[in-house]
Amino acid sequence: MSLREIKLCLLGDSGVGKSSIVLRFVRDQYKDHVESTIGASFMTKHLVVDDNTYVFQIWDTAGQEKYRALAPMYYRGASAAIVVYDVTRECSFPAVKDWVRELRHNVPGNMVVAIAGNKCDLTELREVRTEDAKQYAEDIDAIFTETSALTAENIKELFESIARRLPPEEIYRPNSGVYNIRKTDNPEKKRQCCSGSNKSS
Amino acid sequence: MEDESEGSLSPSQDSIQTPAVLPWDRFSNWLHCACVVTFDLELGQAMEIIYPSHIRMTEKEKMNICYLSFPDSNSGCMGDTQFHFRIRQCPGRKQIIKSHVEYNRECPIQLKSDDAHYYGFVFFRQTKDRSIRRGYFQKSVVLISRLPFVALFSQLVSIIAPEYFENGEPSLEAACHDIDQWGPPVPGETMNLPIFGTVLQVRIPTHKDKLVGAGQTRTQSVPTLPAQSILPSLFEVDIYTAFQTILPHVQMLWELMLTGEPLVVMAASPSVTSNTVQSLVSLISPFHYCSDYRPYFTIHDSEFKEYTTKTQAPPSVILGVTNPFFAKTLQHWPHIIRIGEMAGEASVPKGFNKLKKASSLKTLDCKPGVYTQYKPFLMKDKGILKRLIKGMQTKRPVEAQNAILRRHFLELTQSFMIPLERYMASLMPLQRNISPHKGPPSLRQFDVDEFVKTLHQSGPQLTSIVKGEWDGLYRKFFRSPNFEGWLYHRQYEVNQKLQVLHMEALCQANLLDWIQDKEEVEIVDLVLRIREKLKFATNNSVAVKPENINKLEKHMTTIISSLPEDLQSVLNT
Repeated sequence: MSLREIKLCLLGDSGVGKSSIVLRFVRDQYKDHVESTIGASFMTKHLVVDDNTYVFQIWDTAGQEKYRALAPMYYRGASAAIVVYDVTRECSFPAVKDWVRELRHNVPGNMVVAIAGNKCDLTELREVRTEDAKQYAEDIDAIFTETSALTAENIKELFESIARRLPPEEIYRPNSGVYNIRKTDNPEKKRQCCSGSNKSS
Repeated sequence: MEDESEGSLSPSQDSIQTPAVLPWDRFSNWLHCACVVTFDLELGQAMEIIYPSHIRMTEKEKMNICYLSFPDSNSGCMGDTQFHFRIRQCPGRKQIIKSHVEYNRECPIQLKSDDAHYYGFVFFRQTKDRSIRRGYFQKSVVLISRLPFVALFSQLVSIIAPEYFENGEPSLEAACHDIDQWGPPVPGETMNLPIFGTVLQVRIPTHKDKLVGAGQTRTQSVPTLPAQSILPSLFEVDIYTAFQTILPHVQMLWELMLTGEPLVVMAASPSVTSNTVQSLVSLISPFHYCSDYRPYFTIHDSEFKEYTTKTQAPPSVILGVTNPFFAKTLQHWPHIIRIGEMAGEASVPKGFNKLKKASSLKTLDCKPGVYTQYKPFLMKDKGILKRLIKGMQTKRPVEAQNAILRRHFLELTQSFMIPLERYMASLMPLQRNISPHKGPPSLRQFDVDEFVKTLHQSGPQLTSIVKGEWDGLYRKFFRSPNFEGWLYHRQYEVNQKLQVLHMEALCQANLLDWIQDKEEVEIVDLVLRIREKLKFATNNSVAVKPENINKLEKHMTTIISSLPEDLQSVLNT
């Protein structure tokens, strides 16, 4: 059985429920009032999918505008990103497109992108149509799901489908990810270093 | 198999998820605060931000931080400059950090949380900027801590500062928030420390680590998370680069450090002075260097007068200075190291082996070298020098040169330390003298002459090839704060141990039999003594098994109940 390390980040407007999704996934909890995130929060979670163990290193970024410029630090080197919007707030959806554009522009290689329409339990308040979001996700070849951190609907499934979508060559082998810190300044170099030692092992 | 963790990632750190953790509690396990120091046209260096904002510092502390956060002469420091400093904490309102009490019990002595000093880790940036009236942007990000984790915090500030210069205050806030998710430092554990989208992994050493070859004995539990950046050490600095220009004299410097001689390091940049001073201090590890040391010291420092006065002999401190003014001010100091720029050539510079007379140093423009009239006690070990020079010529990696140098001095220091430890052990009372019916035995006095007599039989010659006047070196060492510090620490440890042994003897003893034929007064005396022991054990969390303590408490109750009633009531109040 392989152990695979996944750096994942959550992006999206303030108040769409990024931290709630993480809290539900990691601890299976829900809080009515979650303080707004500062910078980013970090959590880890082991998940077994199809006999493979995945260690998710989750960077839950802050949605507030003042932290906007910090986002690249958190999605840099990530294998996956979840871009979250609120199905009850029309204006949170265009931001998804901005994030996807930014990711495509700044992240080399094939990052797995998932789009999550959160708060889908609030049916009577819905402003974003499922079909519209789904169509957009298909166009950009992203995973799409509607979630509810409150009811836990599709939360675990979201992470499972991300795990399944990951390109196979990046499987983590113990001792292959160890390299001197001086080499990590440049993300390009780091990539070479990892793949180099993978081949040799 | 699903598990989760938040922030801290080692399995044994789950306890930090208890709800009693307040915001910034975890942050203060590592850092006191993060500051931004700027250059104000009217005020000069000024504190722009202190984060978290509730942190209070005295004006004196703030002043010292401000002055020490900028290079003395900015002209030569275009771009980024990194260094660190150490300042005195102002007395009063000491905030005790709970996790540090525990940490201090288990960590190596030289890594203890310092309750008298702060360490400051600086990232200074100077760039041309036409939009600013003076034409230059000059600012420093500084991390302040009580912990001497030089390698970790230097790395940390080099991650945080560039982001801050790019994106401003929110990034500092985000960084501090990341640090506020770290678990407390636990000696012996490998910690995963998330910061700005990466995870730093570093092992916290423990006092139980084997000294020689510590590198090979790292058999800690496998971390739950593959880290993205592994720091080879929490605190070790690049001693090889620090000493590269003065390699032939390092063994003499080791003697100066061991004996707590006043020493000044002069160089053009605070990066050089701080790395050199830190290297000097680490040279005598596992001894703890007990005098003050200032990796970077300026004329504005609040201890400037105290340390540079000519009316007294120079104090037992090490100063790292860059201001040319010091060449004059500290002219009377007995030992001066002048570090020049290393040309980067594999050749050995001219006059490499020569010592220079202290009096010949007048300005900072003097040639690099060691200026002293000190006559070393020990003969130079030429083997190590040859090895290192060969490494220079064959371009051996700096890490390898460092390891060779560090190991050499660790072995030398241990050769010096072993006879002391052996003699110390001979001062221990015999096991059979530990009696439950008497007070705990105490350690015999350390007798310098008696110790020196043991050297003939079992001195450092047993473990070291270095020849010379070892006994002279010991005698000089005995007059230094380092000996005092070492002796105090060892006595404390041994007495602690004796207390435990005595306590255990007391727990095992059949006290009820013993009191049969004893006078009342003797019994009362026993009760009082046991009470004192119990108090000591709980106050110092002495490693006595809880079942033994319970046993002792039961003994107590029985003994008291065997006494006349009036006495019972006196003892029970």
